[in-house]
Amino acid sequence: MSAETHSEVIKLQQASGRDQAAAPVANEQPVKIWKPYQKVLFRIAFVFFVGMSIPMTGEWYKNLFGINWFHLHYRDLYDIARFQPSLVRFQNPAYNLMGYADWLAVLAIGIIGGLIWTAIDRGKTKNYQTLYYWLRVIVRYRAGIGIIGFGFTKLLPVQLPYPSLGLLNTNFGDLTAQKIYWLSIGIVPWYQVFAGVVEVLAGALLFFRKTTLLGAILLFGALGDITYVNFSYDGGVHVYASYFVLFAAFLMIYDVPKLYNLLILERYTVSNNFYPVILQKWLKYTRIVLKVATIWIFLVVLFYIQYINFRYDPYKQPAAKGVKELRGNYNVTTFKINNQEIPYSPLDSVRWSEVTFENWTTLTFKVNRPVPLDLSNGGGSPMRDINRTFELTGVGGGQRVFYYQADTVNHVLYLQDKYAASARRNRGKGKSGEESAKNKKGKGDKKDWIPKEARANIQDEYTAIDPIALSTRREKGIPEELKDKRKRNRMILSYSTTDGNHIVLKGINERKDSIYVVLDKVNRQYALKDSKLQAGKY
Amino acid sequence: MSALKGSLPNDEWKGYEKWAFRIFAIYFFIQAVPLDWKYYRNLFSINWLHLRFSDIFYISRYTPQILANNSSTRWGLNTYADWLVILAIALIGTVIWSFRYKDTNYNKLYYWIRVIVRYRLAIGIIAYGFIKFFPLQSPYPSLSNLNTHYGEFSRWKLFSLSLGIVPNYEAFLGLVEILAGSLLLFRKTSTIGALMVVIFTGNVFMSNLAYEGGEAPYSLYLIVLGLFLLAFDAIRLFVLIGLERPVEPNGFKIVLSQKWQRNRLILKTLFIFFFVFLYGYKTWSAYHHEIYQFPQTVGLKNASGLYDVAEFKVNSTTLPYSVTDTNRWKNVVFEKWATLSIGTNKPLKIDSAVTEEINDRDADRSYEEAGSVGRRYYSYQIDEAKQQLILQNKNHNYPDDKLVLHYTRPDDSKLVLTGVEGRDTVYAVLNKIDKKYLLQEAAGGRNKAIKL
Repeated sequence: MSAETHSEVIKLQQASGRDQAAAPVANEQPVKIWKPYQKVLFRIAFVFFVGMSIPMTGEWYKNLFGINWFHLHYRDLYDIARFQPSLVRFQNPAYNLMGYADWLAVLAIGIIGGLIWTAIDRGKTKNYQTLYYWLRVIVRYRAGIGIIGFGFTKLLPVQLPYPSLGLLNTNFGDLTAQKIYWLSIGIVPWYQVFAGVVEVLAGALLFFRKTTLLGAILLFGALGDITYVNFSYDGGVHVYASYFVLFAAFLMIYDVPKLYNLLILERYTVSNNFYPVILQKWLKYTRIVLKVATIWIFLVVLFYIQYINFRYDPYKQPAAKGVKELRGNYNVTTFKINNQEIPYSPLDSVRWSEVTFENWTTLTFKVNRPVPLDLSNGGGSPMRDINRTFELTGVGGGQRVFYYQADTVNHVLYLQDKYAASARRNRGKGKSGEESAKNKKGKGDKKDWIPKEARANIQDEYTAIDPIALSTRREKGIPEELKDKRKRNRMILSYSTTDGNHIVLKGINERKDSIYVVLDKVNRQYALKDSKLQAGKY
Repeated sequence: MSALKGSLPNDEWKGYEKWAFRIFAIYFFIQAVPLDWKYYRNLFSINWLHLRFSDIFYISRYTPQILANNSSTRWGLNTYADWLVILAIALIGTVIWSFRYKDTNYNKLYYWIRVIVRYRLAIGIIAYGFIKFFPLQSPYPSLSNLNTHYGEFSRWKLFSLSLGIVPNYEAFLGLVEILAGSLLLFRKTSTIGALMVVIFTGNVFMSNLAYEGGEAPYSLYLIVLGLFLLAFDAIRLFVLIGLERPVEPNGFKIVLSQKWQRNRLILKTLFIFFFVFLYGYKTWSAYHHEIYQFPQTVGLKNASGLYDVAEFKVNSTTLPYSVTDTNRWKNVVFEKWATLSIGTNKPLKIDSAVTEEINDRDADRSYEEAGSVGRRYYSYQIDEAKQQLILQNKNHNYPDDKLVLHYTRPDDSKLVLTGVEGRDTVYAVLNKIDKKYLLQEAAGGRNKAIKL
């Protein structure tokens, strides 16, 4: 390098150093005047993106102000991070343009707002550099927080759980497309972690203005893919995924002229980023406090409580331990119904086959008889294990899934069907667990169906998990969900086993017939390799 | 403007930069340009009058294989060990170069090595792009696959099956690859193309690791090529975006004589025609005529479907339905093509196929059985005169498992098979089941109530 150029470089480095004002070269720009159409577009974009970034449901605020910050659950923060405009109340995709009606509504507001603003301004404003800067701040933080909320559920892999035994024993053609996609990530937890790292990293990069472009490119690529996945596999969250694509695209636009100038036109390029000068001390401090608080809450605290959730309370699979000696895959050796033995046949519509007891409180079996299916995606954030339905949703092939409460003293299982009519969720709106009062037909029982003596031997639902994972949300959520009186099939079965290899179940099934089932453990050879990295502690 | 010269000098190279460049230049030259005699052996064994898309696919996927490799298609892929050997050659070459040739024009050489790498990477990514864009790579699962337990597949197979059920998503992924490759064919857009490759193929690489696919080294190979291309503008981009300082663009322009300008245009056109348009046409045509993952021979007429094995005898002893008996057949699937699969309780050695291979012979097309247990897959020939099926186990671990089954068809939904299996005679009565698959029934959307 010649001496001349070298000294120029040094000059330049000084010029672009801390004190921008002292550098004559960098600050020679006159006041920029935006073209009229640019101003109109900006005003519309401003109203639109602010509208897209403001939570508009009462539930969001209810959640925010209801949070017990000393007894946090990951979902408390996740629910802050996850919202999108919801003005249009049609749920039917035919009426709400596949969910995009809300966007159009906000766009309409943006156009009207932008035009009114233009009329009021009457060309007085020369440019909106400062406002553009702040709009980018809003969009950056909205997108960053939102994607981090999502990313952590993958980084600590709970969003797409490893398949339960019941799912491993289901034919590929007996799953919905949605289920197949979710499982295909669930079987490789380390890959899920990688996907989570990408999402969290993209979000974190958006918190800093110099890394915004990189964050936006990552976000655009990752969420563009996820949007397409949701369309193709009927995943149900295409609108929310594309919300981030839109935000990322908006952030990328800012740098496009520079990149075009440098790479395509191959011309000398100056970074003409505009930053407002903040002189007021209190504003400076407010900015720092807000930024540090955001990073603390959404990167540090959320990581910790998400880790707790992963270890002790993974939200898509039941958290309480199942009876230890019952776990595994079983062949049904003998099956009697009302004392009449039925020989095995894959076509039989009464006899059970392929029984599993999961690590948690679930019994599954197959019966060759059509049953109504739950095709939801098994999400939400139910606190009760019975409402954690990932092992059931999107599964056909005659699979029946029962939640049990075990009286371990008298060896009796009190079982309830995990399928409950009208269990389909309010898709894509981010409303957690609770179901509308659509189905009140099942009047419910005035009296507890589990005898008092047995109840005393059954573990309390709230404390069934590790104490470190207990939270206010769980404490309030369980009694709330207990009010759900949808009708469920029930069975009461006593179990006897010596070592778990041979189990006898006796009792009353969901049709009030008496059944007698002998189960023999089978060590199934799966081609799918188990992963050590699985959520929950059982 | 000279007062604002950017921090990246184009004209002068520092000593260590030259050393590094020499290593990279030799390394990437050997990795990208076919010097391998095997490549030309394969090239000349192509039937150019009946050129198939698979031929262009393999030409595009070339990697130099210095150490031995075994591959069913002879083309093969190199391994990390080959990379090390190439790196060693590059190091030796660099030493010789450094002491023998002093007057290299590095800017010019950098330009040309980038041209080579750009084109190599472009055809590599486009080759995979088209077999996804016309969804060939991961076909819709076969009937046998639909009737296999989820846990009875390997990870890699589940990955491919999961992609196979959504042809439009597969096409979208292919489109991204084709777009990235196309951007690499033009100098000014190559940085954007390289960035797309690094992000997209980065994900492919991670998938190969996670799902235990066989193409992790190859996808990393493509990523490394992409990173090399990206390095050209990376510092400039970092200075502009990260440091927010002014930056000079690429200052080197190649000057070609008029004759060479014309030649360049002709060569480029031919190249693009062959690897993009001709290849695109060939894959399109293959998509309409031949899904290469599955055999082509047509199966027994009107037989395709899932069958319950209602009756089963071995040496005239009737075996009842059983979940444990390893001799009794559980169920049978006839595919549309000449494959029959038998559900079994017998433990099986898994047949594996984890790299992309396009085989012409039906017997080599192992996608349907690869990476799964729980079913025995047989290819069969039909002897109509004798009413016989001549079966051959497709799994490479069971080459001696051959069967001859005599068939009768009392009615459309019933098949009776008799024959000799090993030293025993078998007799099976098959009843077609009108099986409805949730995957298809729920395809209309999840908002409807379904009872199945």
